[in-house]
Order: sequence, then structure tokens, then C-alpha cells
Amino acid sequence: MMLNRELLGPSLFLALFTLYAIVAWQIPLLPFEEYETVTSATLPKVYAAFGIVVCLLSIGATLLKPKEQTAELAQRLEKDDVLRTFALLVLMVLYSAALEPIGFLISTSAFLLVGFFVMGERRKKILLFASIPVAVVFWFLMTQVLGIYLVPGDLWS
Amino acid sequence: MFDGIMLGLSTVLDWNNLLYVIVGCFVGTFIGMLPGLGPITAIALMIPITYSIGADSGMILMAGVYYGAIFGGSTSSILINAPGVAGTVASSFDGYPLAKQGHAGKALAIAAYSSFIGGTIGAILLMVAAPLLAKVSLSFQSPDYVVLMFLGLTAIAAFSNKGQFLKAMMMTVFGLMLATVGIDPSSGTERFTFGQADLLDGISFLLVAMATFALAEALINVVRPEKKEVKSINDSDTPQIGSTKLSKAEVKEMAPTVGRSSLLGFIVGVLPGAGATIASFMAYATERNLAPKALKDKFGKGSLRGLAAPESANNAACTGSFVPLLTLGIPGSGTTAIMLGALIAYGIQPGPMLMEENPSVFWAVIVSMYFGNIVLLILNLPLIPYFAKVLAMPKSVLTIMILFFSLIGVYLVSFNTFDLFMMVGFALVALVLRILAFPMAPLLLGFILGDMIERNFRRSMMLSDGSLSFLWERPLTLSIFIISILVLLFPLKDFITQRRVDKAALKANQEHT
Repeated sequence: MMLNRELLGPSLFLALFTLYAIVAWQIPLLPFEEYETVTSATLPKVYAAFGIVVCLLSIGATLLKPKEQTAELAQRLEKDDVLRTFALLVLMVLYSAALEPIGFLISTSAFLLVGFFVMGERRKKILLFASIPVAVVFWFLMTQVLGIYLVPGDLWS
Repeated sequence: MFDGIMLGLSTVLDWNNLLYVIVGCFVGTFIGMLPGLGPITAIALMIPITYSIGADSGMILMAGVYYGAIFGGSTSSILINAPGVAGTVASSFDGYPLAKQGHAGKALAIAAYSSFIGGTIGAILLMVAAPLLAKVSLSFQSPDYVVLMFLGLTAIAAFSNKGQFLKAMMMTVFGLMLATVGIDPSSGTERFTFGQADLLDGISFLLVAMATFALAEALINVVRPEKKEVKSINDSDTPQIGSTKLSKAEVKEMAPTVGRSSLLGFIVGVLPGAGATIASFMAYATERNLAPKALKDKFGKGSLRGLAAPESANNAACTGSFVPLLTLGIPGSGTTAIMLGALIAYGIQPGPMLMEENPSVFWAVIVSMYFGNIVLLILNLPLIPYFAKVLAMPKSVLTIMILFFSLIGVYLVSFNTFDLFMMVGFALVALVLRILAFPMAPLLLGFILGDMIERNFRRSMMLSDGSLSFLWERPLTLSIFIISILVLLFPLKDFITQRRVDKAALKANQEHT
């Protein structure tokens, strides 16, 4: 049976809150906290317990809903759109990883250019003029006007 | 109060701050006009910039962005029936039909004048209400704050969209949990850091705000492009702007509506969790009910009152939402939650002492609202045709620019690429949650209030010797606590009613087949 969209969210949260609860119960207490009513683990435990109760209520409420209603909630996502989003997430990770080693100017220009391309932009004018000049102007504003340090690139320095 | 106003005036009239008001309104309008981007995203994108300027200027800039974004949202609602902000959805009911009838200029002018009057009335009420409430709140103690914050968290969940209460509660708890990551300030114990040194200081508020709003907002528009009837400003059948002039009779027709809606909007805005969206819908419904039969039928087909009501109410509500923020230090909405986070980052604790300790911030924000409204009227109205061109910007460029500014904004504050990786992770989680229809504002509110709740809860428990009796020992605490419980139980009524309706509908359906 495919997991209903309305059940998926609360189920994911239930798993997360349970994991949180397990870690919360393992928070080490310092010697002076032993006899205190409120310790560093108190509120995390309360949050975890409350969160689990809310998740169970939500799952219960969804299961009690008439079937016709829950079926309507399914909303399809286009494969191309999902792939494009995934590509953007990967691109952001790569940009974050490349920022310090190769520097702001090159990594930002590449990020913008590839990003526009991933978004379906094929006009050369936009691809070039909305990427490299933007990175250069931003770099100039930050470093030369506002005096903010931007990484030149560990590989070149 | 007079001294305060003079102090606020002198702060705002500083050339730099005046420039920030103008820039804030301008940038806010620009971002608010883009469908799918609201004031929270606009303010989140501004935070890295505000870190490099003073607290007064930063708050002035953010308040300007807030107004501008609401006004910008109205423009896209009216011109292309694509509200950039939930608070301007009601404006499209009559604004878009007006534009389709060839009165786009008039509709935009009504939006601008109503917003101006709503914002100005709101600012006057704020000027009176905030200091009074600040004085009263000076008597508040830790237990009162615990229950007040509890009220804020439950109210934002209770006022979320129909059927989203439990989802909003889950998001609130998730936000509270995120706030516990890092070294516990009271005992020094490490919590949920998993040995990562980068997590010892906790998760940055800017990172969470940017990931859950700016990044997730941009990505949701990629994964689920708007399929409904949204027209580009370049489409041939898109209404021309036309004249922005209003006749005397039209002004006379709308004047009472604007007055009533502004007042209603302000009151709704002050309530935690309510905000501009509820205010605009309430004002629209009220005016529809109050209108004579002939005018009532025009609602939804291009009624002037139908446009003026939500426009004045949403701006007044924006101003109203500053009351709990400035006087109690409790944000009533996602937008004010971001501002609270920014204030804390400046080392300023909003609340009753704000007026005493940082009067220049307190009064500058209030006075800047007058200027913000004037700027919106004199700068934005004549520039509307040019602003409208923003709607023609290629989506490919816009999305990537938002991603870039969000990432680099966080990097410029922390200079730590670990934050960027974490931000992408949060954006992915936020994206999945958005697809599953989970609201984001409760998460942010829970995250920002989490630390304050824990501190005040500990203090209260210490004062009451480890007993929960602090909840009922003082009438004020008890009253707020009871209200919170009632607010928490409020959606239960809807749930039971809905279940009855569903059962009846299902039964009727089965009998029919």
C-alpha cells in the first residue's frame, strides 16, 4: 500500500521526534544537576513527548478521515521539475564546496551560469551577461566599496 | 511620548536612515511583486545587509521592506491575479476584475491610497498603544512570559489554515527542538551536537530563516511551477495600467470602508498569530456584509470597497503586529519573528525594557512607519508601470539569483561553509515539508522563542521551588494560561464539526450510489 501523502508527514515527524527523544534521554547530566527539577534535558524531553503525541493525533485523525477525502489530496509532481530541483540542490552543494578552494569570482560565475542553464535558459546573452558581470559587480561592491573580505581562493593563494 | 516621537524623528531624519526607509520600501515592493515571494523572504534576504549597519537603521530598513513587500504583493494580485503574499489574496478578488475591466491604474491607486491610510492609522494607534502596553508589561514576570510565549506558539498554530492545526503544532515542536541544539547556556551541557564543533553555538537563526523561506520558496516554484491562470505582464491581454485618478464620489464611497478596515486590521494585527491575511479576509467579509444590496452584488466583480477593505486592513495589521513585538518581545507572525531574531542578533532584547534601554530603536521603528507610508505613496505610485516590468523578468534568472543571494548572505555573516551545507539540507527538508503542505512560520517562531521559553521556564521553576504552581499563583499568569489552553482547544471544535459534515456527505454519497 502506498503511504498516503497526509500520513507521510506525520510519520516522518514521528520518526524524527522518536530519534530526538532517544538522544534527549541520553543528555548527560552534570553532578550539580542531579537534584534540580529542571535540567538541560527537561525541555527536550517535554518537546519530544509532546511532539510524539501530536504526531499520533495527526495520524489518528488522518486514518479517521473518509477515504474519498484523503485520495483527493494526492498532488502529482512532474518528473522534470523534480529533477531540476534536485540538480539545483546538488549545484548549491557544489558551490558551497567550491567557494573557498577556487574563490568567490570563479565559483559564483560558474554557479550562476550553470544555474541559469539548469533552469532552462539557453540564450547566450543572458547566460553570459547575467552571470560573470553579476559576480564581478558583487565582488567589487563587497571588497572595494564595503571593504568586506571575500575568499580569493585557497588554491591560488 | 512627545520626547520619544522627537527622538524617533531625529533618528529617522538622519540622511542615512531616510535612505534606508526609501531603499527598504523600494526593495520590498520589488520582491513582494514577484509571485511566490512574500515579506518573510524579502526580510530574510535583507538580514545579512542589516548586520553591517546599526540596530536603528537595520530595523528601519526591515520595516520598510515589510511595507513594501505587502504593497508589492497587491500590485501582482491586481495586475496578474498572482498574489505574492497571502495577505494580499483578498485584494485580487476585486482588484483583478477591476484591472480586467481596464481600470488597472485606478485599482493600483486605490491599493496605494488605502494602504497609506491603513498604515498611517495603524502607526498612530501603535504610537499610542505601544508605550501603554510597554508600561503595563513592565510588571510582567518570568512565569507571565512563559505563558505568553506559549500563547504565541499556540495562536500561530490555531490561526493557521483550516485543517493545518496539527501540522502547525508539529512544525512548532520541530522549531523548539532545533533551538535546543548546541551548548545549554544554563549548565554548559552539549545537546544534540553529535560531536560537531560547528554546532556548539547552536544553529544560526539567519540560516534557518533563509533556508526555510528564501531557498525553499525559490525551490518550491521550481518543483511545483504555478499552473493556475497566471499571466505574464507581457501577454497581449494583460490590462494596461491606465489612469490612476479617482473621482470625488469614489473617494467618498470608500472613505468609511478604509476607516473601519484600518481599525479592524490593527486590532487583528495585534493578536498573536492572526496577522495581515486574517485581517484582510475579515475586513473584506465585514464590508461585504455591511454594503447595501446593490453594492454587495458588485463584490468579486470589481468593487472599489472590496479592494479598499483588504488593502487598508493588511497594512494596518502589519503595523499592529509590531505591538507585541516591541512591547512584549513576542512576535505574532513569521515576519515579526524574523525581526525579533534580527534584534536579538544585535544584542537587543525586545520587550518591556526596549523602550527604556533602547528608546532610539523603539521610536525610530514607529516613526519610520509614517515615512515608509509616505514613501510608498509618492515613490511607488508613479513608478508602478515601471515596477510592473519586474513581473516580466525571466524565472530562470530570478530563481538562481535568489539562491545566490541566500547562500552568499549566510556565508558573509559566518564565513563558514559548514553553514552553507546545513542550509542546503534545511532547504531540502523545508521543500519536502512545503510539498506536504506544512506551514513554515510556526517552525521559525518555535525556533526563535525556544531559547527564551527555556530561560524563563527555568527561572519560573526556580522561583517556585521546582513546582508548576507558578502557572496559577498570579491571576495574570493564570488568565493568559487559560486563554492559551482555549486557543489550543479551539481547532478541536472545527475538527468535530468537519467530521460530522464528512460523515454525512459520505453517507449521502453511498446512498446515492
